[in-house]
Amino acid sequence: MQKNEPKVAFWMLLPAILLISVIAFFPLFKTFYDSFFSFSLNPRFPREFVGFGNYIKLFNDSRFWASLKTTLIFTVVSVALETVLGLMIALVVHQEFKFRGAVRAAMLIPWAIPTAISSQMWRWMFNDQFGIMSRLYEYLHIIEPGTPILGRPGLALWAIIQVDVWKTTPFMALLILAGLQLIPEQLYEAAKIDGANMIQRFFKITLPQLIPTIAIALIFRTLDALRVFDVVYVMTRGSVGTETLSVYNRVLLMDRAFTSASFGYGSALSVIIFVLISIFAIVYIKSLKLKFD
Amino acid sequence: MKRFLVLVSLLLVFAVGLSITTITMTSGGVGKELEVLYAQLKEFMKENPDIVVTVIPMPDSSTERHDLYVTYLAAGESDPDVLMLDVIWPPEFAPFLEDLTKDYEYFELDKFLPGTVKSVTVDGRIVAIPWFTDAGLLYYRKDLLEKYGYDHPPQTWDELVEMAQKISKAEGIEGFVWQGARYEGLVCDFMEYVWSFGSDVLDDNGNVIINNPKAVAALQFMIDLIYKYKISPEGVTTYMEEDARRIFQAGNAVFMRNWPYAWSLANADDSPIKGKVGVVPLPKGPGPDGKHAATLGGWNLGINIFSSKKEKEAAKKLIKFLTSHNQQLYKAINAGQNPTRKEVYNEPKLKEVNPFMVELFDVFINALPRPRTANYAEVSDAIQRYVHAALTKQMTPEEALAKLEKELKLLLGQ
Repeated sequence: MQKNEPKVAFWMLLPAILLISVIAFFPLFKTFYDSFFSFSLNPRFPREFVGFGNYIKLFNDSRFWASLKTTLIFTVVSVALETVLGLMIALVVHQEFKFRGAVRAAMLIPWAIPTAISSQMWRWMFNDQFGIMSRLYEYLHIIEPGTPILGRPGLALWAIIQVDVWKTTPFMALLILAGLQLIPEQLYEAAKIDGANMIQRFFKITLPQLIPTIAIALIFRTLDALRVFDVVYVMTRGSVGTETLSVYNRVLLMDRAFTSASFGYGSALSVIIFVLISIFAIVYIKSLKLKFD
Repeated sequence: MKRFLVLVSLLLVFAVGLSITTITMTSGGVGKELEVLYAQLKEFMKENPDIVVTVIPMPDSSTERHDLYVTYLAAGESDPDVLMLDVIWPPEFAPFLEDLTKDYEYFELDKFLPGTVKSVTVDGRIVAIPWFTDAGLLYYRKDLLEKYGYDHPPQTWDELVEMAQKISKAEGIEGFVWQGARYEGLVCDFMEYVWSFGSDVLDDNGNVIINNPKAVAALQFMIDLIYKYKISPEGVTTYMEEDARRIFQAGNAVFMRNWPYAWSLANADDSPIKGKVGVVPLPKGPGPDGKHAATLGGWNLGINIFSSKKEKEAAKKLIKFLTSHNQQLYKAINAGQNPTRKEVYNEPKLKEVNPFMVELFDVFINALPRPRTANYAEVSDAIQRYVHAALTKQMTPEEALAKLEKELKLLLGQ
């Protein structure tokens, strides 16, 4: 029986391994492979091996650097805000109060709406003529009347970040809430007996106990943010300095699919996005001392 | 005997089954477009009982349709059989479209508007059949112009500025709305200014000539509409067709640049400006080279090269039917989309329902095509980025066009 166990485990894991190979690893390796070629989906262009040519071209492409910068700003600011706000909301809904269940459910609505739809909704709310958000900001004297928020370099990216924070904070809050519920009540009782006040209890018990949960949530969100596409594409199509790496990649892989040999170039950009995401993931895992066992 | 009968009936069923050809076509769903198409297909299938047509509705945005076609064609899919193609796509999709050159007579292309036939000709080959055509137009509020003592719509851009400033200030509404967001529509609007100022992006030989004083003046004029004359809201840099139309149709603008489709919507029963709208050619630019200019739009029907021979034959029949005289008239009256056949414009019924189509016939036959290159998508992307950067004051017009020239030369290998 004992002897057989690894064998049984292998056969039970096999379908999952095969499935993941087909739907995840194969496209990944194909993209890596393609990034060393110059080719197009249009057979008019010959497929040629160019080595690191695509990468060299990419590092000399100012549009790549601009979209990288935008992506990083978007990621750092939106994930930081989502984490802080998510933590605060989680702490509130962790308390006992009337209609807590209803509040917890209602909180998730922004997360439940498909991004393409909510982005379109926000695009209208930021419209200079009839947008309710434009009115609100005018009323608060944050902007001049008639300012097209999504047409102003500088403002547009912040509007997009705002939409992302609105949409994803509930997800953060939900994950952190789950973490909060795992902290044993005895820890707090012991701390109270030792005379620790609320602030001390938060920093000495709640936060350290939450670190693994927050780390997982951070990884999820950061990886999502680094490849952000829909919210940007729907709201500004990448104009006025809001072009992210994925939005630029759409131009390479779709607009140019038949018209130039840029499919390998787009694959190289995909690989860069993959590498970038990996770096972030490794940094998180190392710095937060996560253990995956 | 019994066995023989079974065999015969089986063969019969088989033969009938074989003789029915099912084809798929794509179509947009703007306004009443889809409803009209379904009615047309019903008639077609009644006339051709051996053909069944199914429709794949497409997203409204031309860019999204483009992305879908890239996916279908790159995968070598034999569906859809009939593709609805934007006027700017034939050079790009030509390798994936059935060559229809020898069917010139069959489709009676000599009876079509020459500009539309030119738009479907790639390296001397006909790759699609023009279905309906479009051109940029100036919509204006007849009632407001009259109220402020103007007895004719603007002939020149200067006149438009003067009228728009006076009326918009007095009425507290916007002067002129158009399409300034960074997307394909911006290229259409930009080209109209450039042409009306007597310039172009490429010359007749395909050389890049965009960096010249007239084009700079045209771009400067677009910027001035927003920041100097203040007749266009700063928000035009985020508007597409429907954003502009909503403002105009709500009665909040004096002038609008848009396509013909806006006419029937602006005059619908629930429109606040019903009966108060006029349509004229876009104004002329300054100087001796100034002229009226409109960008050619419109859609064509092409056949997927991966379809079977039988499907291709059925597809040809369908395209011939949809682009026939009667069907174009039906579409023009019911969906407000301009015919591509010359003679349809002589129909009294068309003049009655959509008088502007007949009155502005000259605009439609003189509409100019956007730069014709096989890598148009990249050319368009470059124009969009630099023109939008100038409109949002990230660059001066001189700087924007100098950079645009450099990038276009690189793209076109000059």
